[in-house]
Amino acid sequence: MDHTSTLEKVIRGILLALVVIFFMFPIFWIFLMSFQTNESILRIPPSLAFTPTLENYIALVTGQMKTAAGSLQLNFMQNLWNSVLLSSASVIISLILGVPAAYAFARFKFRLGEDIAFTLLSFRFAPPLLVLLPLSLYFKTLGLTNTYIGLIWVYQLICLPLILWIVRGYFEDLSPDIEHAHRIAGYSWFQTFRKIAVPLALPGIAAAGLLAFIFAWNNFVFALVLASADKQPVTVGALAFVTASGIQYGQIAAAIIFSIIPTFVLAMFAQRYLVEGLSLGAVKG
Amino acid sequence: MYDKEKGLFEAFVAGKMSRRELLQATGKLGLSASAAGLLVTQAQTRAMAADFDWMKHKGTKLKLLLNKHPYADAMIANIETFKTMTGIDVSWDIFPEDVYFDKVTAALSSGSGEYDAFMTGAYMTWTYGPAGWIDDINEYIKDPAKTNPGYNWEDLLPGLRASTSWNGVPGGELGSADAKQWCIPWGYELNNISYNKKMFDKVGVQPPKNIDEMVATSAKLTKDLGGPYGIGVRGSRSWASIHPGFLSGYANFGEKDFNVTDGKLKAAMNSAGSKDFHKKWVQMIQESGPKDWANYTWYQVGTDLGAGASAMIFDADILGYFMNGGDNKEAGNLGYAPFAANPAASAPTPNVWIWSLAMASAGKQKDATWYFLQWATSVEHALFGARKMDFVNPVRASVWKDEEFRGRIDKSYAGYLNQHDVSAPGAKIYFTAQPLFFDLTTLWSENLQKMVAKEIPVDEGLDKMAAEMDAKLAEAGLG
Amino acid sequence: MTSSAMPGRPAKQSRFARKALPYLLSLPALLMCIGILIPFFTAVYYSLLRYRLNLPAMKGFIWFQNYINFFSDPKFWNTLKISLVYAGLTVVLELLLGLAIAMLLQKRTRLNNFISILLLLPLMTAPALAALMWKLMTNPNFGILSYLVSILGFPDMKWGSDPATALFTVTLVDVWVYTPFMMILLLAGLRSLPPAPFEAAALDGVPRSFVFFRITLPMLMPYILTATLFRLLDSIQQFDIIYAMTQGGPGDKLLVFQVQAYLDFFQATNVGRSAALMIILWAITYALSNVFIKQWLKLREKAHGVG
Repeated sequence: MDHTSTLEKVIRGILLALVVIFFMFPIFWIFLMSFQTNESILRIPPSLAFTPTLENYIALVTGQMKTAAGSLQLNFMQNLWNSVLLSSASVIISLILGVPAAYAFARFKFRLGEDIAFTLLSFRFAPPLLVLLPLSLYFKTLGLTNTYIGLIWVYQLICLPLILWIVRGYFEDLSPDIEHAHRIAGYSWFQTFRKIAVPLALPGIAAAGLLAFIFAWNNFVFALVLASADKQPVTVGALAFVTASGIQYGQIAAAIIFSIIPTFVLAMFAQRYLVEGLSLGAVKG
Repeated sequence: MYDKEKGLFEAFVAGKMSRRELLQATGKLGLSASAAGLLVTQAQTRAMAADFDWMKHKGTKLKLLLNKHPYADAMIANIETFKTMTGIDVSWDIFPEDVYFDKVTAALSSGSGEYDAFMTGAYMTWTYGPAGWIDDINEYIKDPAKTNPGYNWEDLLPGLRASTSWNGVPGGELGSADAKQWCIPWGYELNNISYNKKMFDKVGVQPPKNIDEMVATSAKLTKDLGGPYGIGVRGSRSWASIHPGFLSGYANFGEKDFNVTDGKLKAAMNSAGSKDFHKKWVQMIQESGPKDWANYTWYQVGTDLGAGASAMIFDADILGYFMNGGDNKEAGNLGYAPFAANPAASAPTPNVWIWSLAMASAGKQKDATWYFLQWATSVEHALFGARKMDFVNPVRASVWKDEEFRGRIDKSYAGYLNQHDVSAPGAKIYFTAQPLFFDLTTLWSENLQKMVAKEIPVDEGLDKMAAEMDAKLAEAGLG
Repeated sequence: MTSSAMPGRPAKQSRFARKALPYLLSLPALLMCIGILIPFFTAVYYSLLRYRLNLPAMKGFIWFQNYINFFSDPKFWNTLKISLVYAGLTVVLELLLGLAIAMLLQKRTRLNNFISILLLLPLMTAPALAALMWKLMTNPNFGILSYLVSILGFPDMKWGSDPATALFTVTLVDVWVYTPFMMILLLAGLRSLPPAPFEAAALDGVPRSFVFFRITLPMLMPYILTATLFRLLDSIQQFDIIYAMTQGGPGDKLLVFQVQAYLDFFQATNVGRSAALMIILWAITYALSNVFIKQWLKLREKAHGVG
C-alpha cells in the first residue's frame, strides 16, 4: 500500500493539519491564557500580544490567590494529589479485577457468562444521579463517607466496565492456538495467562487503562457528594476560581494545564502500546 | 502591663475610635502591628465576655460547611478570637460556589451529622426548613441563658430579619408573628445600579431614575459608545436570573409573583402591570443587553462591567463593589446609584440575597453551635469584617453607622453608601415563600429567554406560563 | 500440573477446577460492583413515591403515577427528543470524524504516533472545566472564537445563547472533547487488522472504496461497536458540557435527561420525579446496549467461525 501519489500525500497532510488545528487550538489558547492576568485575558478584541506572567501557576502552587477581595487560601495541590490517588488506585484495582474477567469472557463459554458480562456493563449506564442519594445514605451506614476507599469503590463503576469490555475485545482477537501450545508445553493456566495472553493483549490493556484513568480523572460528582473538602479532585478544586469577586480565568487555565499534565505523561509513557495496535500477523502466523 | 494600650483598644472596640486613630496611637506606644492585632482580639473578647460565660462549652469541636466567599474568609481570618474566647475548636469544609448548594443538599439529605452549621441563602431555607434539616434559631435567640446580653438581635436590619423567618406555610408572609427563624443574616447584597462613570460622562448621561429612562439610557449608551453595551443583567436559565435586578424592578411596581387567597397560591405574572414590565425588560435586553444574555450568570455580568464591556449593571451592589478593585480594567471608574423602576414609587424596593448561617438539625452539639453562630453574627465580628475585610454589605445597623467603615467605603466607592442608605429601608425578599420556589422561578427565567429570543410574544408567554405554574401548584397541593 | 499431560490437551486439571475457572475469574469483578444494586433498587423504590424532600407531609406510595405523569407532559417528550437528537448527532459525528482521523493516522510513523497522543488532550481536559473555557472563547466581547468568526463574516454569532445555534455549540464542544475517544479506539483497531487481505486486494488492483467498504469496515466493526456503545451511553447521559454551557437553555432547548433530573433533584428536591426520569433513562440505555451487544456477539461469532 505504499504507492500513494504525491497529490494524495498533500491532501492527507492538509486534512491532518486541519484536524490538529481544530483539536489543538483551544488547548493552545488555554495554554496562552494560563500565562496571562485576568485583565489581559479580558480584552476587547482578544489579542495575542501580552506580557507572560507565572502568577497563575505560582498562586496554584503556593496556595495563595489574590483577588479583588484580598488573598484567598487554596488547596489546589491537595486536589491534584487526590485526583492522582483516586484515579490511579481505581484503575489499578479495575485492571486487577477486570483483565482476568475479560479473559474469562473471551476464552470460555460458560453458563451465565454473557449475563454476567452484560450486568457488569450495565453498571456503566446507571446514571450517577440515580444512585447518589441512596448511596450517600448507605455510605453513612457503612462508615464509608469521606474515605478514599469508599470513593475508589464507587469509581469502579466508571473504570471496570470500560476496561472489561475493551480488553475482552482484544483477547478475542488473539488466536487461542499459541496459548494452547504453551499449555501443552506443560505450563499451568495461570502461567499461560500471565506470560502469553496478557503481554499479547497489552496494547488493549494500556488503551483501556488510560481511557479509564481519564474518565475517572474527569469525574467529580461522586467525590462532591460523598467526601469532604480535603478529598476533592481537581475538577471540583478548579471551580474555586469562580469566586464571589469575579472569575479568575487565568487560574482556571493554569489549573487545566496542571490537571492535564499527569494524564499526558501517562499517555506518552503508554504511547508505544497505545498506538502500536496488536500485531496479529505475528500471532496468527 | 499594657494598661494604657488596653484602654485604647477598648475605646476602639466600643467604636469610640477609628482604626486609623487606634493604629496611630498604638504606633506611638511602640506596638508592632501583629501585637496590635493580638490585642484587638483580646479586646474583642473582653468586650463580649462581660456578663456571659463564653467558656461553657469549652473543649467542644464544631465543623462548618462554607462557601468560598469573602464572608467566609473574614470569618476564618478572625476565628482565633472565637477559639480563644470559648475554648471551642472549629474546623470547616469549603466548597466552590458553583457546587456549594449541591454539596449542602447532599449533606443534609443524607441525614449526616457531620456539619453543625453551614452557610445558606434565605431562599434555600424554604426547602431546608420544611424538610426538617435546620432548627428554628428563635429558641436560642430568645433564651437569655444561652445568649450573650450584648448580642443585640434588634440591631440586625429589620427587612433582613423578616426575610430569613417564615412560618413554613406555603405563601405565608415572611417575618410573621408565628414565623421560625431559619437562619441568621450574615452579609447581604441588594440590587441597584453600578455604572461606569467614564462612559456615562463620555456619552453625557446620568444614571436612570426609572425603567423607561433605563431602557432609553441603555440604548443611547449602546449606540453612542460603539463597542460596550448599555446594560448588564443576568439571563441564564436559573432562578438566579430572576432574583436580582429583574425582581427588584418588578416589585417596585407593586407586582407580585403569586397571589395567596385562603392558603391557595395562584400565579400572578400575567397581570396587565406584569406584562407591561416584562415588555420593557425584554425590549431593554434585546436592544442593549449582552449579546449572549441567555448565558449570563452573576460572574459574567460582573466581569463585563469590570473589563469595560458594559456601561452599567442592574444587579447586586457588591458585584459592582468588587469590580471597582483588584486587577479589573475599570477599577476606580465605577459609581453607584439607587434605582426605583416605578416613577411613582417613593423609594427603591431592592430584592435581596442574604448569605446567612443556619444550624443543622442533625448536629449533636447545638448549644455550642449557637455560641459560634452568635459570635459569627455579633457586632464585634461584623465590625472587624467591615473595617478590615470585604465583609460587605454588613447586616447590622450599628456597623453602617461606624465611621471607619463609612470612611473606607466612601473614599473608594463613590455613591455606594448613598445607594445603600436610600434603598435599605425597602430592601427585603419580594418573592412569595413557597416550596416550589426553585422549580417555578427557573420556569420563569426559561420563559424570559423565550421572550427575548422572540420565540414567544410576552403576553401569550406569560399567560401560558401562569397556567403551567398553576397546574404545578395544584399538583403539589398548593394551588 | 506435571508434564505427563497428554499431547493436544492442556495440563491436567480436575473437572471441577476447569468448570469453576471462568467463574473464579469473573466473579470478583461482579462482586465489586454488585453493591451498587442496593442503591439502585432503593432508587427504583423512590421512583414509585410522591417524594419531595421539602413537602414531607405529601410523601406516599403512588405506584407508577410519576411515570404516567410523564406521558401527558410535553416537557418530558421534549427531554426525550432532545436527548436522543443530541446523542445521535454527537455519536454519528464523532464516529465519522474519529474514523477519518484514525485512517489518516493509520500508518505507523513517529509523527502519526505523536499526533495521535496529542489529539487525546481534549479528552484529558475535564468537560466541566473545558465548558467554562468554551464559554469564554465564545463570549461576544472577549472570546477568540467570536472574534474569529466575526472576521469570517458572522459578527452576530451568539453561540450557546441563541436557540438557533445552541445545539450546534454544545455539539461542537462534545465533538471536540470526545472524538479523540473514538479515534484512539478505532486507530488501535485499524492497526491490529491482519495485513493479508489488504495485500491481496492491492495485488488484484481492487478499487480503494471496495477495500474500505468490503474489507476494512467489516473487520473493524467490533471496534466500532464497542467505541460507539460507550460513547452512546455517555452521550445520552450528557450533563457536564450542557449544564456548564447553557444550564439547559436557552428556553427549554437543551433540557436533556440528566440536566432535568439534576434540577429536579438538587434544586426542586423532587426525589420521586427525578428518580423516575433517571429510571427511564436507564431503561433506554439498557435497551440500546442490548441491541449493540447482541450485534457485537454476532459479529464475534462470525469472525471466529471464519478465522
